[in-house]
Amino acid sequence: MKKIQFLFSRQWLDAPVGITPLVTLRVVLGAMLLFSTLRFMVLGWVADHYIYPKFHFTYYGFEWVSELPPSGMYAVHILLAISSLCVILGCLYRIAAVLQFVLFTYTELVDLTYYLNHYYFVSIATGLLILVPANRAFSLDAWQKPEIKSIQTPRWSILIFQVQLAIIYFYAGLWKINYDWLVLALPLKIWIPANDQLPLIGRLFQTDWIPYLFSWFGMLYDVTIVFWLSWQRTRLWAYGTVILFHTLTGLMFQIGVFPLVMIGATLIFFSEEWHTRLWNRLWKMIRSRRLVARPRPLEIMPVQTVTHRLIFAALALHFTFQLLFPWRYLLYPGNIFWTEEGYRFCWRVMLMEKAGTATFFVKDEKTGREGEVLNGEFLNPHQEKQMAMQPDMILQYAHFLKKHYQRQGLQNPSVRAEIYVTLNARPSRLLFDPALDLSNIEDGWKTKTWIWSDK
Amino acid sequence: MRPFQFLLPALLLLFACCDTNKNGPTDTFDRGAMLQNFADNLIRPAYNELLDKILVFDDAVSTFHATPSIENLNAMQTAWQEAYFQWQFANAYNFGPAGEAGLQKGLIEEIGTFPASAAKLEANLGSGIWNVTDFNRDTRGFPAIEYLIFGSGATHEDIVTAFLNNQHHKAYLTALSENLADRVETVVNAWNGAYYTEFTNNKGTDAGSSTSQFYNEFVRSFESAKNFKLGLPLGKRPGQIQAEPQLVEAWYSGKSLECLRLHLTAIENIWYGRSKSGQDGIGFREYLEKVEGGPALIISTETQLAALRTALAAVSDSPALSVQITNVNPQLESLYTEFQKMTRYFKSDLSSLLGIAITFSSGDGD
Repeated sequence: MKKIQFLFSRQWLDAPVGITPLVTLRVVLGAMLLFSTLRFMVLGWVADHYIYPKFHFTYYGFEWVSELPPSGMYAVHILLAISSLCVILGCLYRIAAVLQFVLFTYTELVDLTYYLNHYYFVSIATGLLILVPANRAFSLDAWQKPEIKSIQTPRWSILIFQVQLAIIYFYAGLWKINYDWLVLALPLKIWIPANDQLPLIGRLFQTDWIPYLFSWFGMLYDVTIVFWLSWQRTRLWAYGTVILFHTLTGLMFQIGVFPLVMIGATLIFFSEEWHTRLWNRLWKMIRSRRLVARPRPLEIMPVQTVTHRLIFAALALHFTFQLLFPWRYLLYPGNIFWTEEGYRFCWRVMLMEKAGTATFFVKDEKTGREGEVLNGEFLNPHQEKQMAMQPDMILQYAHFLKKHYQRQGLQNPSVRAEIYVTLNARPSRLLFDPALDLSNIEDGWKTKTWIWSDK
Repeated sequence: MRPFQFLLPALLLLFACCDTNKNGPTDTFDRGAMLQNFADNLIRPAYNELLDKILVFDDAVSTFHATPSIENLNAMQTAWQEAYFQWQFANAYNFGPAGEAGLQKGLIEEIGTFPASAAKLEANLGSGIWNVTDFNRDTRGFPAIEYLIFGSGATHEDIVTAFLNNQHHKAYLTALSENLADRVETVVNAWNGAYYTEFTNNKGTDAGSSTSQFYNEFVRSFESAKNFKLGLPLGKRPGQIQAEPQLVEAWYSGKSLECLRLHLTAIENIWYGRSKSGQDGIGFREYLEKVEGGPALIISTETQLAALRTALAAVSDSPALSVQITNVNPQLESLYTEFQKMTRYFKSDLSSLLGIAITFSSGDGD
């Protein structure tokens, strides 16, 4: 009992452990972000995502975040790349970490269209990096200022990343426990045959049982993988499957850098000895001598400072949010896949195949003349695709259209939309009443009672 | 005994065994065969025939230039019309050699932008200066030629006179028809050469795969028929205060309805995987037969295609579409509605069921 009390106590959380896992994580996350940012620029996505579209969808509560002029958007990306590089090198670490977090999160907030769970994870992880002393070893900062050099770090600074990853995997698995996924093997029954051109295993993807195997394996994998990674005896095997699993999903689906992020981040579950060996080896390659690893107990983080208390309070708040927020969908009636109320920020990944066709009609209430909007005039294909099935985005777009055509001289325009959505290969059906004037409906936390049932 | 030490290798082994298992079910869809059919029986014949007809038109232009007569004008107009009708069967394949490349847009933008700008064309005719590669895409291709040979005078006599009196007319027409032939020839050569293999070998469903590109352009072609050949002239866009019949396709020749009918046939052919001559092959329909939820979508799509056909057949051949728009023919309104009802089956249901990636951006699958 004493032992359990000690576990998760202040002393336990603050107890010094080896810093090398944190150093690995710092480098891995910085490198991912650097790679992802450069990739964005090389692919021309800065222009495609932020500059060309005439309209940007915003996050609820973050409507005030808007895009910068083209030069500004490029500056943000260049600065982001530089700060990530600084994080990797551990150079001006706190400033770089704050910049990395703020700039990356900004690029995410500019347009809701590009919301991805793994970008959300990157935002969280870079945020958490600000709080931890990841620059105390193998960094330019520590080289410049030997007084900050340390081979240890408080336990919590590593634990928070492990807990965060555990939440992600566990919830991702938990949400797979639903009728479509387990009983019908949907959407994998759609996605897997579409990938029958993969080398070696592609041929199999036309078989009936593979979607079921993948569905069940995927669910069990997500729910339990952190356990296997945490247990020293299974760790290597588990990490092998992490590589296999994420490589496979990376080959099959258009999920960008996500597989790399997870393969890199899960290294945090390896022991400090493993990380220390890794760094010593890397160091030897650079410096051709072993790093002296003299274990000296450090007076890291004087326990009762205000900063320390603030950090703990913030972390407590963050993890409470992480645990509870994904359950908010229970407060809404109806099928979450259909209404998407409470869908985002819950680690619901690759759960459904959904698509819609959205036709908007704007009516001049004075003349009674109604016209059909060409979405391509305002939205890029990705924006249109995402908007056509997500009710809050539909509302935002309707409000934008009202304003736009008001400026064009239409009198008190009303906006209605005929939106047909198909979910997991079921015949498409209307999302809501096509006669409804959307420009009078405000988005909010309340149940969107105007959405029709999918049943 | 620790069970997991066996579980994981066992799973890996399972994957490995499956690898060598060649006795998979035979009830699968061969995307390669569909691409082959599209290439062999739809795309290549469409482009080849288009080039042939454009060359016939070029000859007619030469004949007319040699002897500018009403008879030769008629022959030239007929040749243009034949080529333009054939274009309806080739206008849906704006990818690969017919796709965007640098400053060049897709073939449909380069040779099919309508309506042509009469003002710009007249200005060019006046100055004798023109450019067939700049961003003024409404001054080249079929519609610009149509303006010169159908629209540059009120009567046939006026048109012949214009060509006789204004030296630039002749040179401009030659430049435009040569440019048209060049652009199409480039595409034809690519399809008869290396691109054919590239297309049929890229059998995936990812963004940039042949299926994805073909599908995207198919949908774009369908939507352009609805939005630009019908919607815009009918005044269906917000902000339009009335119908604008002069915006129809082929306004000067008055062949808009024929074009629309042929365009719809071309769209149907892609759906069925059918050649222009009516020979059935593997198309999206056959693909759907093999996927989850596919049979239901085949029924809804074909029911709607039939309704669309009926609505189009109900519109009489004469007078010209633009005149019927001016006269507010209610059948055009129903036709538009049927087009609208069709959209979702092609635009989102089909790609969703087939698992085709339609954009390059990363997704969550949500």
